[in-house]
Amino acid sequence: MPLLRMRNASFEGGGASAGPVTLDVFPGERTALAFGSAREASIVALMASGIVKPSQGSVLIDDFDPRIQSINCKRVAALVPHEPCGLNESEFVRYVLYRAALWKIEPRRALAHAQLLRKRLSEMHEAFAFPLIGALVGMPKLVVLDRPAAAYAPQTLAVLEGRAVFSTHASASEMRAFLTSPFTASGRSGTPA
Amino acid sequence: MTLRALGGVVIARLYVQRRVLLYACAAAFVVGILQPEGAAGPVVFCSLLGIAMALSQSPGRHPHLDRCEQGAPLFGRELARAKGLVPYFGASLAALSYASAQTVRGSHDAAFDLLIALAAVAASTSTALCASIRRGWSRILYILLAFTAGTMTYALAVTAHALLAGFAFAALATFLALRQYGEALARYDPVEDL
Repeated sequence: MPLLRMRNASFEGGGASAGPVTLDVFPGERTALAFGSAREASIVALMASGIVKPSQGSVLIDDFDPRIQSINCKRVAALVPHEPCGLNESEFVRYVLYRAALWKIEPRRALAHAQLLRKRLSEMHEAFAFPLIGALVGMPKLVVLDRPAAAYAPQTLAVLEGRAVFSTHASASEMRAFLTSPFTASGRSGTPA
Repeated sequence: MTLRALGGVVIARLYVQRRVLLYACAAAFVVGILQPEGAAGPVVFCSLLGIAMALSQSPGRHPHLDRCEQGAPLFGRELARAKGLVPYFGASLAALSYASAQTVRGSHDAAFDLLIALAAVAASTSTALCASIRRGWSRILYILLAFTAGTMTYALAVTAHALLAGFAFAALATFLALRQYGEALARYDPVEDL
C-alpha cells in the first residue's frame, strides 16, 4: 500500500492553482517532481502533507483522506518547508520542545533524538537544519520536502534514509541534485501527470 | 488537545511577540497614569491592543510557527483556542498594567475597571481573530465587529449598570467567535502567503 497516493490531485483557490498530479510513494521510496513554478511546487508539497486539501482529484496519506481525517494524515506525513527557519542555535532546545509538545512526543526523547540529528547535520546551516530536525521529531513515515536546498541534498537524504520521501522542486536542475546524491537507490523522478 | 500542546502554542507565540508585549504593558501603564478614572480608558485601550495582537496572529507574520501549527496533528478548534489565548493573555497583561497605574494614581475602582476590561478584551480579541485569516472587506468588518463587541460589553456593564449582562454578552461573543474561528481554521488552505 502506498504511503502517499495522489490521483489527478489539483488545487485552485486564493489566486493560486497547482496540478493535476498523479503519483504513488511507497514506504522507503523516494520520489521527486519538478514543477513550472515555485508556487505550484509549494502547493503540491502542502497537499502531499495534508495541510492543503485538493479541490479536485484525491490525495490519500497512508489511506487517510486529508479532507476528513487531516489529524491522521499529519501524524503520518511531515512537511519540511522551503523557507529557512529564523532561529539560532540558542533557540534549538526551545524549538524542539515546542515541536514535541505539538506532536505529543515525550520531551526528553524528542530532545535526545534532535541532538543526535543535529550532530549528523552539523555541516548544515541551522536555518535549514532546524526545520528538517523539527519535522523528524514527530517520527513521520513520510517526509515531504518543499523545494529543498540542492546544496544540502546529500546530508538531507542521509538523515531521511529508510523513510518515504517526496520532494517538489521548481526546476529540473534542483531535482537532479536530489537524484544524483549517493542515496539514490530507490529514487524516482518525473513531471506532473 | 493536551494542556502541553496548548501551552506550547501559547508560549511559542508569546515568546516571539515578547517585545510587543512589553511595549503594550508599558503603554498601558502610561495611559493608566494619564487617565486613571473610569472603565472607558482600559476597555478602549486594551481592546485596541487585543485587536492589534489578534491581527498579528495572521498567517505570514511568524511563518515558521504557522507551518508547524498547520502541520501539527491538531483540530481547527484546538488551534483556535490556543491562538485565541495569545492575544487575550497579552491584552490582559496590559489591562493589569493599566489597573496598576490606576492604583498608583489612587483610583478606588481599579479592580472593577479591570474586570470589565478583561471581559471586553475577551470579546474583542476573539472576534478580531476571525479577521486575521480574512482579507479585504470581510477583514475590515470583523475588525469593526471586534471593536463593537468590546464597546457593547462596556455599554451593558457600565452605562446600563447590568454587570452580569455585560459578562454574559462577552462570554457569548467569545464562544461564538472562537467557534467560528476554529471552523474557519479547519477549512483554511494556507496558499495566500506563498
